[in-house]
Amino acid sequence: MSARAAWPLGALAPPPRRLPATVSSTPRRLLALVAAAAALVASLAGCGGGGGGGQSSSGSGGTTPPTPTPVQNTQPVIVDQGLGGFANLLFTSVTICAPGASTNCQTIDHIQIDTGSTGLRIISSVLSPALALRQQTDASGNPIVECAQFVDGFAWGPVKIADVRLAGEVASSVPIQVIGDPALATIPAACSNVGPPENTVDAFGANGLLGVGFFLQDCGDACVQSTFPGIYYICPASSGCQPARVTLAQQVPHPVSMFASDNNGTIITMPLIPATGQATASGTMTFGIGTQSNNGMSNVTVIPADPNTGNITAVFNNHTYPTSYIDSGSNGFFFGNGIFPVCSPPDADFYCPATTQSLTATIRGGNGASATVNFSVANAETLTMNANFYAFSNLAGEASDTTTFAFGMPFFYGRSVFTAIEAQTTPAGTGPFNAF
Amino acid sequence: MPISNRNASLTAALAIATASITVSAAASLGGDESTVAADHAVLAGQIKVARVQRYAVHEIAAPSGTVVREFVSPTGKVFAVAWSGPAMPDLRQVLGPYYDTYVAAVAQRKAKGPVNVVLPGLVVQSSGHMRAFSGKAYLPGAVPAGVGSEELK
Repeated sequence: MSARAAWPLGALAPPPRRLPATVSSTPRRLLALVAAAAALVASLAGCGGGGGGGQSSSGSGGTTPPTPTPVQNTQPVIVDQGLGGFANLLFTSVTICAPGASTNCQTIDHIQIDTGSTGLRIISSVLSPALALRQQTDASGNPIVECAQFVDGFAWGPVKIADVRLAGEVASSVPIQVIGDPALATIPAACSNVGPPENTVDAFGANGLLGVGFFLQDCGDACVQSTFPGIYYICPASSGCQPARVTLAQQVPHPVSMFASDNNGTIITMPLIPATGQATASGTMTFGIGTQSNNGMSNVTVIPADPNTGNITAVFNNHTYPTSYIDSGSNGFFFGNGIFPVCSPPDADFYCPATTQSLTATIRGGNGASATVNFSVANAETLTMNANFYAFSNLAGEASDTTTFAFGMPFFYGRSVFTAIEAQTTPAGTGPFNAF
Repeated sequence: MPISNRNASLTAALAIATASITVSAAASLGGDESTVAADHAVLAGQIKVARVQRYAVHEIAAPSGTVVREFVSPTGKVFAVAWSGPAMPDLRQVLGPYYDTYVAAVAQRKAKGPVNVVLPGLVVQSSGHMRAFSGKAYLPGAVPAGVGSEELK
């Protein structure tokens, strides 16, 4: 995700629907969690499950190879109230297992799906201690700890090893980040100096983050070459944490890239929703691009992204935005400065035009391809009058500069959005690219 | 927002004036140009200084690839900072006394996306995603006359 924040959109609405500022009472939070977990588990039945994981073929040996039936590669996803009451956050459930285990697993709901980052991150407090995930270490046995940087804060915690199951897919021995581990409560200044901490479910608004962006690892070669202050650390018990270089294999990777098949990208498909918004919106995330009968590339425009930054170019109102991106982790379209009136404080993150604006932008790829995007911007305060609505296709706000057009979650409604991983081959060439 | 002609001439001026000079780096936002090499030390980067008519730009390139530029007015005050690159800069260092105000404002946002904190006396704008961050912060009351916010980058 490009960004994380710690306050619900609910506060956009009139006082009666306002959610508490920073604290929710424990019973209420607990109830919400239980209810949300129950609802999501019910709605996401078949998403990997904690049990047999029938597709796993690790270990055992000696049995007849199974008939090569395609792996179940589609995972339910949903925009709902979530755990922080933010609008337009896309969630799924992820099953985590101790490496190699078939039964020591935990399915965790409300993991936010983020095409703007790479890697699976789980809040420590929701992880079952029974998983006893192994700590990632460097060649000398020192624990590797990460500071994941977001545009509006950071998440600090150890890298641990887990098997990750999504739909019928299995990624074995995946480094993931466990955020907010109380055993590593002291955060180096170089980490904590980039904004607010997002180390709890409340601060995160989710139980974790599933980064399914363009890159194979979250940091990549930069963290192999230098200590890249503020990202990876080793934390020897004797001397505390210090910045460290890490290998690509030690870094937190794109979990989809570690599937045995369907590992070249993802497709997020969301339904069209009414202009007035909707309480929830259910869609799918499909793994693989052009690998099965259900993930082909017909009728899409391929937009290659910059291989270093993941950015694409957008044109709006005859102005070019060269550092644009398609990001399920942003909860609105974010573009322009002073184009429309913003809502009154404290809702000024969003636009509040008097009437809904019907607009057109063009997304351009380096290959000369371009795609026209029709979208609209509604009055955010009007949209959120209905306290039960969390899915909006026309929520937008100011960008922070004149070069960025962030096509956030509203862009995904009514589309299938392909995100091809760097260096992975697809029928439309090698990633990174978007297609839609 | 269109790029102005002024920007084009600024670019030319920068190209002429830019040179690798061994000097102390600028201070944090709101600080005094001559007082501190702290940003240079913390960001551990190479520095070059460019002086144009309305301000000087101290550019610090950190090993991470992230570049921080600090804009110093003719009176010697750092009135803006800007950054771009694969990692976030040390915002506590570059925002100086404004860092805590920034953090408090961000923590209360309802948006998830580019950050646009606009307060009386302080603007902080930050956008991007993993591996590609950019942003700037400036003190509206301290920006020299004739300098547009769009050229602070």
